[in-house]
Amino acid sequence: MTDHRQTPKSAYMSSGDMLLIVNDALLGDAAELYIAVGLDSRVTAFNGHVDLGTGIRTSLAQIVAEELNVPFEHVDMVLGTTSVAPNQGATIASETIQITALPLRQAAATARQHLLAMAAEKVGVPLDRLRLEDGIIRADGGENWQLSFGDIVAGSHVRLSIDSHAALKPASDYTLVGSSRPRVDIPDKATGRWTYVHDVRVPGMLHGRVVLPPYAGFDHGDHVGKSLISIDDASVAHISGIVSVVAIGDFVGVVATREEIAIEAAKSLKVVWRAPPEWPDLNMPEKALRANPSTPRKLADRGNVDMALAGSTQPMNRTYVWPYQMHGSIGPSCAVADYNEDGLTVWSGTQNPFPMRRDLALLLDMPEEMIRVERMEAAGCYGRNCADDVTADAALLSRAVKAPVRVQLTREQEHAWEPKGAAQIMDVRGGLDLEGGPSAYDFETRYPSNLAPTLPLILTGKVPPVSDVVQMGDRTAIPPYAYGNLRVTVHDMPPIARASWFRGVSAMPNTFAHECYVDELAAAAGVDPVEYRLRYLHDPRAVDLVNALTERAKWVPHTTWGTLGGEGDLFYGRGFAYAVYVHGPFPGKAAAWAAWVADVAVNKKTGEIAVTKVTCAQDSGMMINPDGVRHQIHGNIIQSTSRVLKEKVEFSSTAVQSKEWGGYPLITFPEVPAIDVLMVPRQDEPPLGVGESASVPSASAIANAVYDATGIRFRELPLTPELVLAALNGKMDEPPAAPPAKKRNWWSIGLSAVGAVAALSGIVTMASPWRPAIGTIQRPNADVYSTATIERGRLAAAAGACNVCHVGNDGTPFAGGRRFDTPFGAVYATNISPDAQSGIGAWSYPAFERAMRAGVSRDGHHLYPAHPYTSFAGADDADLQALYAYMMTQAPVDEKAPETKLKFPYSIRAMMAGWNALFLKAEPFQYVETRNATWNRGAYLVETLGHCSACHTDRNLLGAEKSGSARLSGGFADGWEAPALNAFAKGPVGWTADAFYDYLRTGHARDHGSAVGPMAHVVEAMQPLPDSDIRAMASYLASLNEGKEPADPSAQSEAAIAASDEAKVSAALISPKGERIFNGACATCHTGNTILSSLALNSNLHAVTPDNLLQAILNGVEAPAILAQTTGREAPEVMSMPAFRETLNESQIKDLADYLRARFAPDKPAWTETTKAMERVTAASY
Amino acid sequence: MTLPVCFSLNVNDAVESVEASPETPLLYILRNDLSLNGPKYGCGLGECGACAILVDGRAVRSCTVPLGAIGTRRITTLEGLGTPEYLHPVQEAFIDEAAAQCGYCLNGMIIATAALLNRNANPDEDAIREALRHHLCRCGTHMEILAAARRAVAYAKAERTYRSTPDGVSPKAAKEVSP
Ligand code: FES
Ligand code: FES
Repeated sequence: MTDHRQTPKSAYMSSGDMLLIVNDALLGDAAELYIAVGLDSRVTAFNGHVDLGTGIRTSLAQIVAEELNVPFEHVDMVLGTTSVAPNQGATIASETIQITALPLRQAAATARQHLLAMAAEKVGVPLDRLRLEDGIIRADGGENWQLSFGDIVAGSHVRLSIDSHAALKPASDYTLVGSSRPRVDIPDKATGRWTYVHDVRVPGMLHGRVVLPPYAGFDHGDHVGKSLISIDDASVAHISGIVSVVAIGDFVGVVATREEIAIEAAKSLKVVWRAPPEWPDLNMPEKALRANPSTPRKLADRGNVDMALAGSTQPMNRTYVWPYQMHGSIGPSCAVADYNEDGLTVWSGTQNPFPMRRDLALLLDMPEEMIRVERMEAAGCYGRNCADDVTADAALLSRAVKAPVRVQLTREQEHAWEPKGAAQIMDVRGGLDLEGGPSAYDFETRYPSNLAPTLPLILTGKVPPVSDVVQMGDRTAIPPYAYGNLRVTVHDMPPIARASWFRGVSAMPNTFAHECYVDELAAAAGVDPVEYRLRYLHDPRAVDLVNALTERAKWVPHTTWGTLGGEGDLFYGRGFAYAVYVHGPFPGKAAAWAAWVADVAVNKKTGEIAVTKVTCAQDSGMMINPDGVRHQIHGNIIQSTSRVLKEKVEFSSTAVQSKEWGGYPLITFPEVPAIDVLMVPRQDEPPLGVGESASVPSASAIANAVYDATGIRFRELPLTPELVLAALNGKMDEPPAAPPAKKRNWWSIGLSAVGAVAALSGIVTMASPWRPAIGTIQRPNADVYSTATIERGRLAAAAGACNVCHVGNDGTPFAGGRRFDTPFGAVYATNISPDAQSGIGAWSYPAFERAMRAGVSRDGHHLYPAHPYTSFAGADDADLQALYAYMMTQAPVDEKAPETKLKFPYSIRAMMAGWNALFLKAEPFQYVETRNATWNRGAYLVETLGHCSACHTDRNLLGAEKSGSARLSGGFADGWEAPALNAFAKGPVGWTADAFYDYLRTGHARDHGSAVGPMAHVVEAMQPLPDSDIRAMASYLASLNEGKEPADPSAQSEAAIAASDEAKVSAALISPKGERIFNGACATCHTGNTILSSLALNSNLHAVTPDNLLQAILNGVEAPAILAQTTGREAPEVMSMPAFRETLNESQIKDLADYLRARFAPDKPAWTETTKAMERVTAASY
Repeated sequence: MTLPVCFSLNVNDAVESVEASPETPLLYILRNDLSLNGPKYGCGLGECGACAILVDGRAVRSCTVPLGAIGTRRITTLEGLGTPEYLHPVQEAFIDEAAAQCGYCLNGMIIATAALLNRNANPDEDAIREALRHHLCRCGTHMEILAAARRAVAYAKAERTYRSTPDGVSPKAAKEVSP
């Protein structure tokens, strides 16, 4: 399968030496293939269902090998591929083994019967003397001959219909079925040799990405397919490698030669959409589901429910709420499509190859026969994810560019758009009768439909975006107990959010209600919950199962909660639940029976629930592969525990908001419970589906255990710490609000234009605004400067980090054009390359020096103090001359930078004359005799060329650096806070000369974190400076907090880390959502034994405002190794911090920032202006 | 995205040349330019671990590593850890425990376990769970993965008695050793 294509059916049909077992031989070549036996004696078996990661490939091969008496290794399974496998519908509801394996087994028996008959004929031995073992046919008399399958099929093409009378092997003779065969796929998967759909590469393949509309996760309503207003092709014109931008209705996609280019293009493409419509609040789904129009369907009505309800001695009416949840495949969906004149081939991870082919035919207006679906394995999906959607995406893009296209959905897209497991509301009316028995059970369940159409069909307008109602809320809606007065009603309703079936479909919520309610009845009746159930449970297999489980789990009967006590902050509890999962259209078929005993510990301080152990018993009928069944049970237990404790999709009023694993957390290894599985041996019974059953009792078993621990009934999921804590406390106290800390920065002071103008115009009268122009010159010849001068100039440029501001937008050195947002308007850096027209090539040295020291351009106009001439004023003549020489020898760039146009009155540059009169002190740097030369060199670099104060000093109303104690006490630059460099530094560990040195040299200091944003570029720009200069700067900077040097930095850092550990619990209480996002999105790098410094030491978390933190979260942070490379040093960390701008929304980032502050800077007041800071940061251009 | 540049990478003990923009996440280079299937795309955000590789023996998430950051460091992917004929002890342990359902997370789990063994030859249960904490598995294969990690500790120990190989290919040894 090197080209990832299965041999098509036609090849089997035309092969000369071949035995085929088909559904109906009379259909000729159109017959469906089940078994093929070839010359090599190998058996190929075909099944329409696919392996969704459950190991079904192995189990089916076992069934075939068993029935045919061939070695297991001689069987190859082909699953789902439309060009050869039979159409057996979608792989759902755990029915592969229970239903679709049956014809396969019969086909294998047919083949065996035929092969034996042919052998008998060939060798003239009566059938009853022939034996078939290990794929070899012999006579039992010990004659000296044997026949392989290949010997028999050689020379003829035989095609037989499945013979429904072919004798099946009795189960008692099974050797392979019922034994645990190792999975056939794992060795390749463990060594990277397996080909998932994500790994399909075909010649000439291009890469596509889709751009999805803003109504993320909602797929019906008039706006669907009609929301696109415009696409700005120019927005991606600068990206080379884009092959096409495709738009059809609301379907938008890009195709590029390389994957990273497609990603960049999808990100940059400017698409304007109509505002999406608003939906009812689905975060609290009860109201929305009750308001959703529905049709009641009565499934059961026995006894006299109304009368019994009226007669209840203790009425108990309860409502249970299930949230929207995600399938959450670990690999976002992916597909490859190849559209050409011969038709369409798609490589797809679909769960439904045949139904999807129908959709593709509809989408592309082509006959189904021209479409070939090569079914490849994908990440587990537990229901339907975006696999079909992405296949259709790829098909559309391939058709547009007439080449094979691979489309990979992003994590955000899969999260937002995967059809969710629907929310559900269950109401139970009932109560106890006089004897403590259940008086009546009046059950109503509301389940929004789950038939999400394949997305591109509705985005392109091929099918109308109307919501079909399906009857799927009825799974396991009938309770397993013999309630005398029973009424069960399901309210069928259209979808709200885009939904599809998800493991356990509606059965898991329905059972949550059934099994919690019966527990409540038992508690109210004062009876042990298991005993109470057994009174009304009459199915003998169920009773056996429950008894086996309670024995295994050493269940101790009890009639009240709290019998297990607790210790410290923990309460212990134990809960029971049972279910037989009934799936398929009502009344449905039973899959395996399952029951749980869950042990929990509930922390009364934090509200956290630990599921410490799950004991699970399951009756699966015959188990084809017991290890496979055990793994399925484990998987169900762990996944459902995760769903119960943690999982809930968050919505805004228009779209899904959970777009990564921090916002939608899954269970992690430390939280996984101990598991004990009891598999009831029933090898003589028919096999039952095992893919979902063990999930079904989960929620009720855990909720019942929490009741047993705390006496509190939870009827809503997930059981998050905040929900539990609120219930434990009656009402959770408001988190302590810290007093707001205010530091004014130079733009947040509502700068009154009037006042500022008044101040400035007062000055104007005092200072002459006009400066003469200085004449132009010929650009000086490069060879008039000595190499030494140019080198000195290069170092001066490095110390001044000129290129950080004056770099061109495309990275060209000194080309200018970068935009800086100031409170007075946008200032653009000028072109300072030696181009005569656009740059400073025509400037004489006096003109250059005047600009550097006095802030006056060659033509006499004043520069804004974004250019730090107030610092440069003190520089050595020799340095400025060398800098001039260096600049003049650089490559000229003939491109004008945009002109700075400030709003009136700041546009009057002449006002700067007055400003200068106030703030420009043009004194040369003074050598301080009492200090050594290193210190003086450092001071010179920091205060003049280095112009550190330009960013690290707060500015006054007029944008001038403040003086006195404000000097180097921290300021703002380019949307970042530039922290204090002196004793006012806010980090928990004081800055030493060594720390400054590390930071300036490598961009990273162990106790302070990494240089990011503009500072990262400064570090990079200073790379040419010799170590001695960096040392000098470090020594000067360290002297700024002389007298307050850290006594012992490592003690300080240890203390800060200890404080952050201690603050773990309180921070989680302050921002539980923030904690979850931290754990899911950040903690992988920012905890434990990573080589990054702890966030507890990171200055940004200790800063007065959250600006720098927000910058990092929104825009990411470059890998320290990159910065270190440019500085010629080693820094081990090669990972960058990703940008979360597109992934986390504002409230998630705020929750996260609140948590981080409380956790890592516990001694600092909470940030109060995070929202404002977010506005500042998102507005800044950096 | 800046212009493509030529890089030479040290991948699975071979020198490979690629040309791409330095910002390109290494994951795409490994998968698309070098046709390696081990590292998988799961989130692109450093959250799930599906894309893990070893860099100088340490596990990193290749979706967040810019091509330009890697320099001459040694990259090992699942393919380079061992082959079906010469399995790395961790791979062997995962196969013996059948520690996969869909297997999409398997790359990250094996790489993380190998990296753990590189820095701690004798991890206890807590250390194993902690090392895997930020590797997500949706299939709920955690039990089998934990068993495999425990078994890997034993295999690696047995193998060390034959010879010491830091994280390289090793002969199929220690098969009989049970953890
Ligand atoms: S894909 Fe890299 S961590 Fe998820
Ligand atoms: S085995 Fe499927 S995600 Fe882990």
